[in-house]
Amino acid sequence: MYQITCPHCGPRAQTEFTYERTTDSVVDPAADAHTAMQALYTRANPMGLDEEIWRHTYGCRAWMVLTRHRVTHVIEAVKAIGPEALA
Amino acid sequence: MTDPTSITVIPAAPLHALEIWANPQAVATRVQKALGFALPVMGRSAANGAITLMRFEPNVWLAEGDVSVLADTLGDDGALTGIGGGVVRFRIAGPGWRELLLEGGVFDTSAAALPAGATAATVIDHVGVRLHVESDDACVVYVPSSYAQSLHHFWDAALPLLGA
Amino acid sequence: MSGPARAPSGEETIPFTFDGTTYHARPGDTLAAALLANGVGLVARSFKYHRPRGIMSAGIEEPNALVTVGKGGRTEPNTRATDVFVYPGMVAMSQNRWPSLSFDIASIFGLAAPALGAGFYYKTFFGPAKHWMLYEGFIRRAAGLGNAPTEPDPDNFSQRAGFCDVLVVGSGPAGLKAALEAAEAGKRVMLVEQDAVPGGSLLRDPDPAIDPAAMVERIKALGGEVLLRTTASGYWDHNFLTLTQRLVEPGAVPPHGFAQRLWHVRAGRVVLATGLIERPVPFANNDHPGVMLSQAVRSYVRRWGVLPGKRVVVATNNDDAYLTAQALVEAGAEVVALLDARASGPAAPAGVSVHYDARPSSVTGRKHALRNVTAVIGGSEQSFEADLIAVSGGFVPVSHLHMQAGGKLVWNEEAQAFIPGETPQMCETIGSALSPPPAPAVAPAGKAKKSFVDFQNDVSLADIDLAWQEGYRSVEHLKRYTTLGMATDQGKTSNMVALSRLAEKQGVTVPQAGLTTFRPPFTPVTMGLLAGAGARNAGAHVRRIPLHVLHKAHDPIWQPLGYWFRPRAYPVDGESLAQAALREARTVRTVAGLSDVSTLGKFEVSGPDAAALLELVCATTVGKLAVGRGRYTFMLREDGFVSDDGTVWRLAENRYLLTSSTGGADRMAHHISYVRNSLRPDLKCSVVNVQEHYAGIALAGPRARSILSALIGAEPPRHMGYVPGVLAGVPVHVLAASYSGERAFEIHVEASHAAAVWKAIEAATRAEGGAPYGLEAMELLRIEKGHVVVGGEVDGRSTPQDLGLGGMLNKAGGFIGAAGLTRPALALPDRNNLVGLVSLDGPIPEGGMLIQRAGQSPQGHVTAAARRILEGGAIALALLEGGHKRHGEEMIVSSPTRGEKARVRVTSPHFYDPAGERYRD
Repeated sequence: MYQITCPHCGPRAQTEFTYERTTDSVVDPAADAHTAMQALYTRANPMGLDEEIWRHTYGCRAWMVLTRHRVTHVIEAVKAIGPEALA
Repeated sequence: MTDPTSITVIPAAPLHALEIWANPQAVATRVQKALGFALPVMGRSAANGAITLMRFEPNVWLAEGDVSVLADTLGDDGALTGIGGGVVRFRIAGPGWRELLLEGGVFDTSAAALPAGATAATVIDHVGVRLHVESDDACVVYVPSSYAQSLHHFWDAALPLLGA
Repeated sequence: MSGPARAPSGEETIPFTFDGTTYHARPGDTLAAALLANGVGLVARSFKYHRPRGIMSAGIEEPNALVTVGKGGRTEPNTRATDVFVYPGMVAMSQNRWPSLSFDIASIFGLAAPALGAGFYYKTFFGPAKHWMLYEGFIRRAAGLGNAPTEPDPDNFSQRAGFCDVLVVGSGPAGLKAALEAAEAGKRVMLVEQDAVPGGSLLRDPDPAIDPAAMVERIKALGGEVLLRTTASGYWDHNFLTLTQRLVEPGAVPPHGFAQRLWHVRAGRVVLATGLIERPVPFANNDHPGVMLSQAVRSYVRRWGVLPGKRVVVATNNDDAYLTAQALVEAGAEVVALLDARASGPAAPAGVSVHYDARPSSVTGRKHALRNVTAVIGGSEQSFEADLIAVSGGFVPVSHLHMQAGGKLVWNEEAQAFIPGETPQMCETIGSALSPPPAPAVAPAGKAKKSFVDFQNDVSLADIDLAWQEGYRSVEHLKRYTTLGMATDQGKTSNMVALSRLAEKQGVTVPQAGLTTFRPPFTPVTMGLLAGAGARNAGAHVRRIPLHVLHKAHDPIWQPLGYWFRPRAYPVDGESLAQAALREARTVRTVAGLSDVSTLGKFEVSGPDAAALLELVCATTVGKLAVGRGRYTFMLREDGFVSDDGTVWRLAENRYLLTSSTGGADRMAHHISYVRNSLRPDLKCSVVNVQEHYAGIALAGPRARSILSALIGAEPPRHMGYVPGVLAGVPVHVLAASYSGERAFEIHVEASHAAAVWKAIEAATRAEGGAPYGLEAMELLRIEKGHVVVGGEVDGRSTPQDLGLGGMLNKAGGFIGAAGLTRPALALPDRNNLVGLVSLDGPIPEGGMLIQRAGQSPQGHVTAAARRILEGGAIALALLEGGHKRHGEEMIVSSPTRGEKARVRVTSPHFYDPAGERYRD
């Protein structure tokens, strides 16, 4: 079980989090069908670092982007996203 | 022999989610003026006699008590939404409360990690809960109503384990 | 007399039984120690050949002495006799024998051993499947371990979080020192020991300079946590470890109700002081009772005062076994020979004759002990009369946790052992695991066929040779073909012996031959421990609806729905479910009924941008809703398929209420949060999940309006209208929405005050001749009305057009899923469309396939079947290829799995009031 350092709560157990998707599979609501399907179905899937969107669902409910190594599971960075990141 | 650890249901109180989506500094100033205390930072609580604000989320505070004075402070920068009907409050008090909350948990409840006045949201036996440390001797746990009876039973069963 | 024994000292105070015979143990005895003390050497039959087996070790690595402990639901099979401590009244049984341990009929398998060798299953069960069925039952009875208990386990299992700066695994000299140092440095320390007492190797080889009990007291005094009978069984990502703790011994009645605890520990740093496991030595009949690991012999002598034998041969390739000879001599046993495979060794105890270049080749035995040991000394054979042989083939560092942590191993040629090397986690190994004593490779003497390597799975040197001969080269293949290392001990004593043999066959070094993966758990874990409290309630807490108590008073039939339990029907006067549901549905159609819809997903969305957010989430228009109005809506996934549906209401200028399905509520909460926070953090709005804040009560039927009107003292809103009101003194939201097809309302009320509102509505409804209705009646009503349900018709593969909802789509687009919906394949004419089915004969089987004639591939399926509520006659909803254009067609619904069939006519899915006239006053 990972330990994820939430930007708002500090280090917490993975149990409190949910994985959403990689940043390259975010679909812009304004995208055309081709671009949207590209984002959904043709992801980079690197054997190395990837940017992933997670949510601290059972903690502060906030969203963040993890830079996570997909082989070693090392989490190199966590960045807050969402309205609070705009403030 | 110290008092045993106890689990009690606290009578329902008005609970609101106070969310701020714009101009946080200005809202904070207005709220402080209305309440006489500053909006607590993440992971902390603050209170006057009528209302306690607990910050569990970056943009949302749990407001316990009378929120009437807050309504005029938000304008178009935030909103209050009632949530008290869906929450049961438990007070877990006594020497074993920190140990009890480790049962089925994933969160460090030691005094260093969770001192008096602290707030934290976490999972206990698969149920999302919110903790507010009233004092070194007691913690209030906010539990979704649907899980309250089941979690109460879970804690009751675990009480004889404390210290074992 | 010879064989295992202990000098009686009057301390044998703890009665226990083994196979029905009562014995007595001393406090602190393991079952193995107690059995040996009572002269019992034969304790088990082997897995495949039913060979007699004794006690080989004194620790968790034991492959032979598996027993069943406890009674009834507390029965624990396959427990190592060396890893259970005797308590008063303990009941232990041997396994895998019939009719008795000493006379076991299936031991004739041993005579058939050549036919049961490596790859036995692969080679034997060619031919017709029915032969396989015949063999299988026989083999399953004959080959095996203990029997799983049939009664439920009466005990609870605790799962607890743990946090520390330093977690030390193992309380031998190295672990104790590391834990104490960390505690003295002010660190938060956890020290874990699988034994019942601290000390590790000190229990076998005491050091007057080290007092384990005193060190443990000191660690505790500094705030450290010391967990005995606790095994670090798994090492996972980010320094997360699982520990399994015995709160009481297997089968014992726990005073607090909990048998075991599973710890989830996050550690800053992990120190592995896990020590060594001794390697056995392969020779003929090396599995017989009376063949024991050298350090185990020393443990029984020194720690428990048990002599596993009185005339002992010691066989070794290292210096450590000389200590065993010394301990035996001190305890009064006769060491008849010390066989050292090397050319020289250290000084032997006085009176012990040492033979160099000496290897055991075979033993013969009696029931509980050996008779004879034969050795090859130099070039010639020599026999010794002996009841025990203490063997040491070198040592294996316990590197399981290190390897689970992702560590590397380094080969140590001198010790013929893999030593823990680098690890990517905050983890280090210390102590004897880093420096196993030198122990050279020794070629086995004796017949390969009866020289066992994996004792628990009955794998011999000959099996490894056979696998090699048949072309199995990789260690992974060898493992699977022979089942080596795949028993409950996971090859703790066998893997290195086997690997040496494989390397020898391949003509490569041991590290070149490779290693199999080390997987958790380190020692077997009972299923109940992993289930925790979930063992009691099918894996999760039941979610209780706010009006549970009120419903319970009516003694309804309950229906699990996700984690929720909701009333399915309220039978009266001995009604069946079907009878009750039909009566309830008829009541709704003719008078009025009330139903609990509290579990619906509900979200309050407020702020100047609330409508903008809702128009992104919902595929229908929202922005044009006037205050006090609502509408049906549905939500799409990004790929264009319908994910959920519900209603949206404008409560005030900048405040909306969105409802969604019960089953999709959590998913919807997450989705809305994603859209709001991740996609559109700029929006000025707040979304609050009020699913549990509001209880919901549906009131439906021709008299619903008049009933409600009297209750709120005002005119209820027209269809799809909203008004706030007060009912039974409680503020409520009144929403005029209908799922049933009748004029209907949803009354949403703060859940903590819902009881008074339900009671008032129920009383008023009953006064009019109405009644509460449950989910089953709701299903009859909605099927007849042709309303879809998420998880039924909305199956993740249906588009709005498929469901006949295309006309409601927001023409302006801009909602989630709009782009995906434009894909050409989603507009093909032969897609599965929602249709109705009317039976032309009997009931329509739910889930049945729609075909035109027998033998045809299915063209669709029935999603929900029911009957007309007032008129009778079977109807159903179905998804049918090109169904929108096939109304009127006759088809067959076939359910081969149920053996049911019905002739049907395809129709519109709206069987009841298609024009919606009943909604209007």
